[in-house]
Amino acid sequence: MNITINGYDIVAEEGITILEAAKRADIHIPTLCYVNKGTSDIPCELCVVSVEGVDSPVRSCITPLREGMRVTTESKELQAKRAERMTLLMETHFGDCKAPCNLTCPGQINVQGYIAHVAKGQYEEALRLVMERNPFPFSVGRVCPRFCETRCRRILVDEPVSINHLKRFVADWCMAHKVDLRIPRDPSTGKKIAVIGGGPSGLTGAYYLARKGHDVTVFESAPKLGGMLRYGIPDYKIPQDVLDYEITTILRMGINVRMSQKWGEDFTLQSLKDQGYEAILIATGTPVDESLDIPGCALPKVIPATKFLRNMSEGKGGNYGRSAVVFGGNNVAMEVARSLLRKEVGQVTIIYPRAQTEMPANQRNIRVAEKEGVQFLLMASPVNFIDTNNGITVQLIRTKLGEPDEKGIRYPEAIPGSTVNINADTVIVAQGLSACREKFDGGQLEATLELTPKFNIKANPRTSLTNHPGIYAAGDVTSGPRSVIQAVVAARRAAENIHAQVMGITKTVAESRFNFTRGKGFDDVDLRNFEGINIKLREKMPTRPPQIATQDFSEIKLGFSEQMAITEAKRCLSCGCRAFDRCDLKEMAMDFGLDPSRTGMGTKPVYTEKISHPVILVDLNKCIYCKRCQNSCDYDAIEISADGVDDKGRPVGLNFKFKENCVSCGTCVDNCSTGALNKKDMLPPIIGEPVREVRSTCPYCGAGCQVLLKVKGNTLMEVTSEPDLAPNYGALCVKGRFAHNFVQHKDRLTTPLVRRGGQLVETSWEDALNIVAKNFFDLKSMYGPDSIAGFSCARASNEENYLMQKFMRTAIGTNNIDHCARL
Amino acid sequence: MASLALTFGSGAMTNSIADMKKTDLFLMIGSNPDTSHPTIGMRLHQALDRGAKMIVVDPRRTRLAERADLWLRILPGTDVALLNGMMKVILDEGLWNKKFVEERTEDFDELQRLVAKYTPEMVEQITGIPEDQMRQAARMFAADGRHAIFHGMGITHYVTGTDRVKSIANLSMLCGKVGVEGGGCNPLRGQNNVQGACDMGALFNTLPGYGGLDNDELFAKYEKVWKTKLPRRPGKPATEIWENIFKGHIRGLYVFGEDPAVADANISHVQAALEEIDFLVVQDIFLTETAKMADVVLPAACFAEKDGTFTCTERRVQRIRKAVDAPGEAKPDWKIFCELSKKMGYEMDYDSPEDVFNELRQLLPQYTGITYGRLEKEGLQWPVPSEDHPGTPVLHIGKFTRGKGLFIPEDYIPPVELPDEEYPLLFTTGRDLARYNFSSMTGKTPEIDEISPECFAEVNPLDAERLGLKEKNWVRLTSRRGSVEMRATITDRSQEGTIFCTYNHLQTLVNMLTLDALDRLSRTPEYKLCAIKVTVFGDEQPD
Repeated sequence: MNITINGYDIVAEEGITILEAAKRADIHIPTLCYVNKGTSDIPCELCVVSVEGVDSPVRSCITPLREGMRVTTESKELQAKRAERMTLLMETHFGDCKAPCNLTCPGQINVQGYIAHVAKGQYEEALRLVMERNPFPFSVGRVCPRFCETRCRRILVDEPVSINHLKRFVADWCMAHKVDLRIPRDPSTGKKIAVIGGGPSGLTGAYYLARKGHDVTVFESAPKLGGMLRYGIPDYKIPQDVLDYEITTILRMGINVRMSQKWGEDFTLQSLKDQGYEAILIATGTPVDESLDIPGCALPKVIPATKFLRNMSEGKGGNYGRSAVVFGGNNVAMEVARSLLRKEVGQVTIIYPRAQTEMPANQRNIRVAEKEGVQFLLMASPVNFIDTNNGITVQLIRTKLGEPDEKGIRYPEAIPGSTVNINADTVIVAQGLSACREKFDGGQLEATLELTPKFNIKANPRTSLTNHPGIYAAGDVTSGPRSVIQAVVAARRAAENIHAQVMGITKTVAESRFNFTRGKGFDDVDLRNFEGINIKLREKMPTRPPQIATQDFSEIKLGFSEQMAITEAKRCLSCGCRAFDRCDLKEMAMDFGLDPSRTGMGTKPVYTEKISHPVILVDLNKCIYCKRCQNSCDYDAIEISADGVDDKGRPVGLNFKFKENCVSCGTCVDNCSTGALNKKDMLPPIIGEPVREVRSTCPYCGAGCQVLLKVKGNTLMEVTSEPDLAPNYGALCVKGRFAHNFVQHKDRLTTPLVRRGGQLVETSWEDALNIVAKNFFDLKSMYGPDSIAGFSCARASNEENYLMQKFMRTAIGTNNIDHCARL
Repeated sequence: MASLALTFGSGAMTNSIADMKKTDLFLMIGSNPDTSHPTIGMRLHQALDRGAKMIVVDPRRTRLAERADLWLRILPGTDVALLNGMMKVILDEGLWNKKFVEERTEDFDELQRLVAKYTPEMVEQITGIPEDQMRQAARMFAADGRHAIFHGMGITHYVTGTDRVKSIANLSMLCGKVGVEGGGCNPLRGQNNVQGACDMGALFNTLPGYGGLDNDELFAKYEKVWKTKLPRRPGKPATEIWENIFKGHIRGLYVFGEDPAVADANISHVQAALEEIDFLVVQDIFLTETAKMADVVLPAACFAEKDGTFTCTERRVQRIRKAVDAPGEAKPDWKIFCELSKKMGYEMDYDSPEDVFNELRQLLPQYTGITYGRLEKEGLQWPVPSEDHPGTPVLHIGKFTRGKGLFIPEDYIPPVELPDEEYPLLFTTGRDLARYNFSSMTGKTPEIDEISPECFAEVNPLDAERLGLKEKNWVRLTSRRGSVEMRATITDRSQEGTIFCTYNHLQTLVNMLTLDALDRLSRTPEYKLCAIKVTVFGDEQPD
């Protein structure tokens, strides 16, 4: 039969539909409801096409070919009609694409994913997932301000999930178990890239650039790497040995390091360019303390905070006396004060010209400092430091907040005549930090680097590029002091841009903001979402009590035990959609350029009844009634129907049932157009991350079904099947699709065992094979080769069976080889 | 396997799974693919949906039995009598395919002579199948059309397993149903690569490619490629190893990927032998019951952690590919063999499984034309004699592998262990849909436990009444070899006098009961049938 589609002449089989003919000719017509056995009784109507001589568009899925038919699949009219239909479908779809924690995390880490790995005991894979976006899980796991936890939906039930403690747990677990994450590095590109600064942003940039195969060199001015993590955050928060381990893990990616190299003295931007570095990332942070600029501020007993903290880190620093005052309300001030307590300074006072709630430090940090015994003198500001023989007298003036300025900010003002004195042995100033003092030194390029008013580097927030081509900046050096995770994110983005530049490619588009949500803010979230979820409070982090913790610099928070981590991980409500990577509704909506936050989406759950099934989860709130589940079921084991339609013709009152004859094969899940059906076992959602697909053969019965293994990192995430491959053509049974947990089960044998003293004990391969060879050899010489027999394995490969029988017939010299073909 | 090799010259499934689309009539005998080969079971149901006919021979009321045009509820272990009876009907009524028999077979007269005594009356008495049902089955099968026979472990797991398979082949040849699309004799192989393990010569009586130990030319070829003298003394089959351990003939055992301590028939005997043996090496992915008794345990990679090929029931050679790293220090089996062999003084030096495959395809005529490159997307069905050969979906078209098809008629021999006063009931086993063998793999997925938490002794309502058994009561099943406890369910899926149970739950080791008597030719044990007695407990599990 001869037809034309979009002007192409096509010869097609008689009796098939336009949709089928187009599919065979590789012409794409969108559809959400068509599968092999038919369509929904309330069809999606996305497959409409125009046929010459027919007034209105027709559904290609039900329109059979006619001789000479002329079909058009793309036009403005069709596009508009499809978009209208899509919008209607989207208006009732209710669920979250991404979890709020994931959306809130500055690093966009797949939080739900790694928590799900923890719940399954897959700590290694959890850490690998974190490392895809954050190479500092040990440090961030200890000091993150936890933006994610503030948005955790579990707050609406009881308390948020202790997300950050779980991150720390997986990192610590992998360290304790000496896990080599074996994160692959792309083939070498031969591109040289320089990174200035070996702190969190510099090392992050270096890590992701090295992963991409670039030849990266980090230039660090200090004798050790780590930047503020080492020299700004005390040991009681991030122990040195943990940091060393973390940095070693990062460097293992293959990064060159040049220590004690001072920018502007040992090298300049120009000298790096001359050495062939194709791009430079500046990540030097904010090493410059802002001075107080009052009389006496240069006295030796008045110490800048960064210098003090660095001394702490290097084990230097002398006696700070019995009392100390600290000026500043930022996180650095808190760490200074707490460190002083640990240096046996009995009385430590933080002085700040505003109220405690206005301090820029994290409120959690302020509370801990207070608990440990730090005192706070608020609404006061220094005016003079006077050296006395046994200390310093600090002259203070009390402050009040003035009238709001044009931006509505109230600044502290001195109250005239309110001067008071305070005596201290040590004064530490933690006022603020900047990237440089007015300009960078070194050469022409340095001098002309564009800066912000606060003397940080001005870089394009999207590309991280400075005003000089090929020179990028990221982290605190551009933003002033921020959290570690923010430095990490900035540097990762910079690395992506640098990669794109040196490879001459366009940067991969940033992840789409397309998102269905069950409610953006807590007030928007319907509480019926949480029906049936029992209160289960979060696990408490084991912590050394303040009176003991302040005796030394050892770590205060001791970390979750494995059991605590699993219990905590199981509290996760798994908000994000497990069908994220396979949702046709989402993909097609994006193709049409539709955004549910503008066109509308479901706002409350309509269906709360739980439909139980051993391997499948059902959420009818996501169902668009495409009926592909029912129509793809080879066993006719699903019943789905609607009680009626609403005024726009959409189904209402959905009824869904697995019938008695369901064999749990899971075909319906693989065919679901949204996340209405999901595999229970597939906990970690894949959110736009690279997944490898490996073709293989099912290891169970003799049918030889072809399977597609979906692998992330070193974990088998899911098993599906391709519809066009013999002998099973996409069909699998419950074992083939679901029974693959054994691959990564903790009971797997991981090391050779030998019997010693009646017990099986671990040994090396060398030892184990020597024992086997010797015993076989002895038996052979004493009793002849036929005294040894071998059982081969009907589960193993052809190659291995071939070698097993070859081994028995050659190395042993017997035909005593057999397997369980008859069993 | 062994029988089809004798009768046709090739011991594999003659046809393809895809062929089922063309089959007009299925004769299912001793196979319940709904649970043992689910994706094949599904194709059978689809064939029925499109109007194909089906005869089911099964003591159990399976789903296919319910849907079949004719269900012969046979007494367990009496298939040979039924098949011989059917052939007698076909001969008596002149329904056989004279042209096919004349042109393509030999020893037809032997068949005629033997089946003559299987009168319908006699067959009814042995099999419990009414005469007219048996006649009807014979006529249906002998009629024109593409008729396929499918059999499974319900045929082979008997002392007389090979007799049954020969009888199946006889029936198929007699009616000219072999060598045609949609027809043939199709053993459904139990394990993913049992076909491959046989092809590769992991057998006591053949070299790779089914060459016999008496073939001088073949030995010369192998000795040249393997560069060593090969043993000609016959080997011992796996099932005879245990008695040979007690006799002191076998002193060292290398168990690769099997768990005879739970999988073999009459396991208490096996376990005693494993304790007796001087030196036991086990190479596996888990610390199996057998591994727990070993002197050395070698940790192996599983299917997702290595490259290689499997050969499935329809002779299709397909790839497996490395998807993830093996845990800890576990190694792919092929590497372990190479390293161990080197230590034993025989160099086996391969870079990869592909390297091994390239050696074996030189030696195995069925695999000669297969390369990894050709398997990239889809598998190939052997024989593939050359690299431009498309593979062989249907065997024996026009000519049998051995030339002419050989009729090997066999007499009916009753099961080894029949019910008596002390052990009045029969016991038989089958596979659970959600589980595989002894659950060492499937048992690691919690959802599978939810689908199939335990196995039940399936008892016919009449037997239940006689035993005073209530639904879900605990029972103890005892045979002459051992006993096992489980809960019972009352169902007419089980035939009166026979108790059925799945064998896949490790906590319910039904092979404590089963019989280790062996088939004369293939040495397969009589797994599928033994005599038992039943003790009924209440709702509480006995101590």
